Amino acid sequence: MNSAYNESLVYHLAVIKVSKKWWKHGFIEKQQFENIQQAYAVQLYNPNLIIRILLFIATLFALSGITVFLGLIVAEMNEDVIAIACSTYGIVSFFLLEKLFINKNHYKSGVTEAILYHSCGFTIGGLSGITDFDNMHVILWSCLIVFSFSAIRYLDLLCTLAATVSFAGILFFEFYNIGGIFQQIIPFVFIAGFTPIYFWVKKLKQRINLRLWRNNFLMIESISLLFIYAAGNYMVVRELSVSMMNLEIIEGGDIPFAFIFYTLTVIIPMMYLYFGIKKKDMVLLRVSLIVLAFSVFTFKYYYSLGHPEITLTFAGLVLIGITITVMRYLKIMRNGFTRENILSEKWGNMSVEAFVISQTMGGNQSNVDHPSMPGGGSSGGGGASSSF
Amino acid sequence: MTKETPKELFDKNFITEEQFRKIDLVTSGKIVSVFYELRSLLYLGVMLFTAGAGILIYENIGDIGHQISIFVLGLLTIACFWYAFSRATNYTNDKVKSPTPYYDYIVLCGGLLFISFQGYLQFQYDFLTDNLGYSTLITAAFFFFIAYRLDHVGFLSLAITAFASFWSISVSPQKWYSGDFFSGSHLYNTAIIFSTALAIIAVILNKKNVKKHFTFTYLNFCALIFFVGAITGLFDKEWYGIYLLLIYAGCVFAYFTARWEKSFLFLLYAFMAAYIGTTYLLAETILANAVELWSIYSFASCGGFIYFIIKYRNHFKQEA
Repeated sequence: MNSAYNESLVYHLAVIKVSKKWWKHGFIEKQQFENIQQAYAVQLYNPNLIIRILLFIATLFALSGITVFLGLIVAEMNEDVIAIACSTYGIVSFFLLEKLFINKNHYKSGVTEAILYHSCGFTIGGLSGITDFDNMHVILWSCLIVFSFSAIRYLDLLCTLAATVSFAGILFFEFYNIGGIFQQIIPFVFIAGFTPIYFWVKKLKQRINLRLWRNNFLMIESISLLFIYAAGNYMVVRELSVSMMNLEIIEGGDIPFAFIFYTLTVIIPMMYLYFGIKKKDMVLLRVSLIVLAFSVFTFKYYYSLGHPEITLTFAGLVLIGITITVMRYLKIMRNGFTRENILSEKWGNMSVEAFVISQTMGGNQSNVDHPSMPGGGSSGGGGASSSF
Repeated sequence: MTKETPKELFDKNFITEEQFRKIDLVTSGKIVSVFYELRSLLYLGVMLFTAGAGILIYENIGDIGHQISIFVLGLLTIACFWYAFSRATNYTNDKVKSPTPYYDYIVLCGGLLFISFQGYLQFQYDFLTDNLGYSTLITAAFFFFIAYRLDHVGFLSLAITAFASFWSISVSPQKWYSGDFFSGSHLYNTAIIFSTALAIIAVILNKKNVKKHFTFTYLNFCALIFFVGAITGLFDKEWYGIYLLLIYAGCVFAYFTARWEKSFLFLLYAFMAAYIGTTYLLAETILANAVELWSIYSFASCGGFIYFIIKYRNHFKQEA
């Protein structure tokens, strides 16, 4: 399926945005930016964030006017008719979105998002309404289809998130409905399902002909990592087993395969962190920090000493301690990691040699040769060699 | 989307080879920055620690270890500020660069611990409770001093919040949520006067080139307090015409602020306030007995607004 947006136009806009950033931070000259801006000029209407929010809210108000008006017309009719009318209305507004806004050069302008979510809502609501909202299959599958369609065609990140979550929901409910042993293996199904998705999406992200969807892939990538972790997390499995599968845990007992989940709760965040650092993968790194915190919380939840305020204080202290240590450690660049904001004027105005040397050789040497190197400068930061 | 762009721009001769090599190091991920990650973690750590310490002290008031923990808390607060002042540069009216990346967070930690400390003193000793207003005022003054002396925007927010609460105006999201933004009667008048006065001071300070980067924070608080105050006044029915005029005046001010500060956040506030005000006016007058007109009204008014924004899009660009 193709995007509703013109690929080269969207790409040109992205080029202008990124080169503007480079110019602002001193990586390129103003003249160069202007040349690029001229060469890649586009007519897309993509306002700044606040205007987008403003337009989004205003569009929602305006749409509510239309829906209330239409609602009054169909209000007296039979429920099935209303459901069909809703889904038809949803589908029609997809068309109107393209005709009235996207074809008139709107690109994620706030108006487009508002109409898009409203179309998704009516289509899904109408489809579920046809089955009286009690058929989980219909609801989940229509979510998956409508959200995937919106994610792919309109490059929308929120829809991508919703589509991924609907997929997870389908996976869960289909196995849950079969019952018996299949309910028990849901966590492993999740891990086995989302791991290949993660690697596949990572591969797709590299393909240049799919570059329009790179942010969407990024979204799926991070959500997959979170699902893989959640499926192995002891707390998630235990609480879901108790509340949904009527599992009763007797005093001193535990859930089936408890040791596996304990291990996964510890190992998965460690793995994310290790590979995140090793491969310099920021997605992995960020997700690892979040899930690491959740793992600590999991253990504290079941093995608490009953003093949350002490835990809080202590956790804060440890976090401050670790962070300051890492900040001091990264005073000079190690292994390509730096504590500085790379997209800043300091980096932009530096000569590329210092930049490269600091990256390839590490701190000590470059300190001597290039006193102007960011962060390295004044206090020589010894003991760099350990990490090289 | 733009991972291959540096190469493309280099091939097309838009950027030089040196520039390309430099940009490519960043975009290809050979060098990664954990700038924001470290900052977020540190912020989280400071928040957890100060919250934990605050609760710890409240829960254990009266215990034996209590005096010791208060003493430790006081020492920590002093240590934070000692660190901050010993590293601080001389006062200037401009933006100051932090001496270390974690400097701001240590200052923040000191301030939050100070709040716990002061709260405890208030609880323990009656003379502070009797003069609650003045102790708040002193806190506000202290925070303003820190904000200006150490150039800390976070402290400016704390100071404005404390100063507003001296006038019994609660500026916290929890209060908005529970709906008792102005706990007393006619406090909205205080809020309107307070925010107007503060805004005037902020603009004067800006014109005198004193900490120009603080202006946004000041005006942001002012706009919020002003609009919430005026809208509350509006809903009190009696004098709604006056409050409506006040809202419109505020919107005009917010509009010019948006252009001046190059922040459209003010435009968002203005739109919301004006829309609520106008809708209220119409509900009281022509729409009062015509429910069926509502849907047309909301469609026409918002549709018109969207059309206006898009039509004059060049007017709403970040840079001229």
